[in-house]
Amino acid sequence: MPDTPESYDVPPISVSPEAPKLKISDLPDVGEADVNGRPPSYTTAEDAELFSLPPSDLDSLTPLQTYEMNENFLSESVPDRPLIAPLAPMATLRTEYEGGSQLFVKQIDWLTKYGYAGIRRTRGDGDCFYRSLAFAYIESILLASDKALAVTSAISVLESTQSLLEQAGFDRMAFEDFYDCFVNLIKRVITPDNAGQLLSSSMLLEEFNMPEVSNSVVVYLRLLTSAHIRADPDSYIPFLLDPDTGELNDLQQFCISQVEAMGKEADHVQIIALSRVLKVNITVAYLDGRPHNSQEGKVDFLEFHNADIPGMNPVILLYRPGHYDILDKRNEEPLE
Amino acid sequence: MDARLRRVNKEIADCKNDKQSNISIELVDSSPFHLIGAFDGPEGTPYEGGHFQVDISIPDSYPFQPVKMKFITKVYHPNISSASGAICLDILKDAWSPVLTLKSTLISLQSLLCSPEPRDPQDAEVAKHYMTSKSSFEETARYWTQIYAGGPGKEDMGKACDEGLRDEVVMAGLDRAHVDQFEALGFERSKVIDVLRRMNYRGANVAQINDDRVVEELLKS
Repeated sequence: MPDTPESYDVPPISVSPEAPKLKISDLPDVGEADVNGRPPSYTTAEDAELFSLPPSDLDSLTPLQTYEMNENFLSESVPDRPLIAPLAPMATLRTEYEGGSQLFVKQIDWLTKYGYAGIRRTRGDGDCFYRSLAFAYIESILLASDKALAVTSAISVLESTQSLLEQAGFDRMAFEDFYDCFVNLIKRVITPDNAGQLLSSSMLLEEFNMPEVSNSVVVYLRLLTSAHIRADPDSYIPFLLDPDTGELNDLQQFCISQVEAMGKEADHVQIIALSRVLKVNITVAYLDGRPHNSQEGKVDFLEFHNADIPGMNPVILLYRPGHYDILDKRNEEPLE
Repeated sequence: MDARLRRVNKEIADCKNDKQSNISIELVDSSPFHLIGAFDGPEGTPYEGGHFQVDISIPDSYPFQPVKMKFITKVYHPNISSASGAICLDILKDAWSPVLTLKSTLISLQSLLCSPEPRDPQDAEVAKHYMTSKSSFEETARYWTQIYAGGPGKEDMGKACDEGLRDEVVMAGLDRAHVDQFEALGFERSKVIDVLRRMNYRGANVAQINDDRVVEELLKS
């Protein structure tokens, strides 16, 4: 139907009641965007001119503008990037910031100095936290000193989550394929596949670049996060903020629109919930270019530790405003 | 078997086995990726007694991408295009989650009929009608249900259900006296209906709209 050429009616239909809106900068520190830096980019030197604003102009942007610019930039880069990339040396990240914010460069140097030699990049499609976590989680099982124990523990946790999902009202028919996909990957760490092979790091990387496999695991983690929040509303309700408006969402609305939907980024609430329900240790390194860290470029690490078996290294993620990648002490893929 | 096909087959079977929800899903041809869903209009709404069909198309990356749905049956509702059947509903767009199913999505469409959201309209004209006079809107929606969805009262109307014999003034949710008034000035009746509908010439709005503006619009059209 064509749009009405003119509107003659009295009550305007598209105006919502005015509500006080919080600025992102008014919010508690839940991983908000930050200024002062050339935002993270996935460009190489030759397409760096895509980023036409000099750093001095970037400094004057509000956190929200910086965040939006990051978002635009990340989405522009989506088609080119693999869902999960092979390990690359930190130096590759450093070169991208060299012409921009020295705060970011200092922090990258700090990470390198403290042994974080590599980065494994995840596509910036809004699922980066879940995808990074899923990959690093399965890889940590693969690298565990006692693989059999790590696999058994992981599967026993996951088995118990199916009823949690059903209690949250999810239809088993609609999530069982995602569950099977996730659990089968973990089982393959100690059980040979049809070709008689055990899962290796390179096979895991290959699997995670197949959208169907990768997205199945992402969806299962999203549903798990949502089901856990729904099952323990008292712990979470005060923190369920809408990232666009800064207003409190009700539980149902938050879970549907901010957790279960694909492409919606995870904030602290989702990270806390997922680390608890998956019983996993997550450490997040904040590469945020903050002035208070400028002295020696110190990077803050935030720990979400909930594992109940010893001997498992935490999953370490690298946060830059609006995006998560995986941080690693290795700077290249292991030889097999 | 490919995961999308496996999932869709499970969903179709589930709907067939479920006699409680009164949601049906049928194949259009031999492809399980093009379907027709149907449900009854919810009780206590202007859609009560009607039977509504929805065209369902399953995209290649289902269930990671949302299912595509639009009404086949014409519906008078702020969030449904009265011309194309296109639907404005968040779960069909950015709030889609792969845990949603064809059945749960059709149930959401049924709920949408219960709770119009005129502030986020698909059909701006219908939304304006709703905001101007809910009772007049409901009367029109009920008439559409009778005409297009086999709603109650259809038998009484007899041949009125045939194209051409139905009452275009009621279809447009207008007042017959208003249409007569401008028709008497020498304008074609169908033009008058079209213009008054676009101008939302209803309820309290009538007092806000000068006759000259209507005539001006009629001369332009």
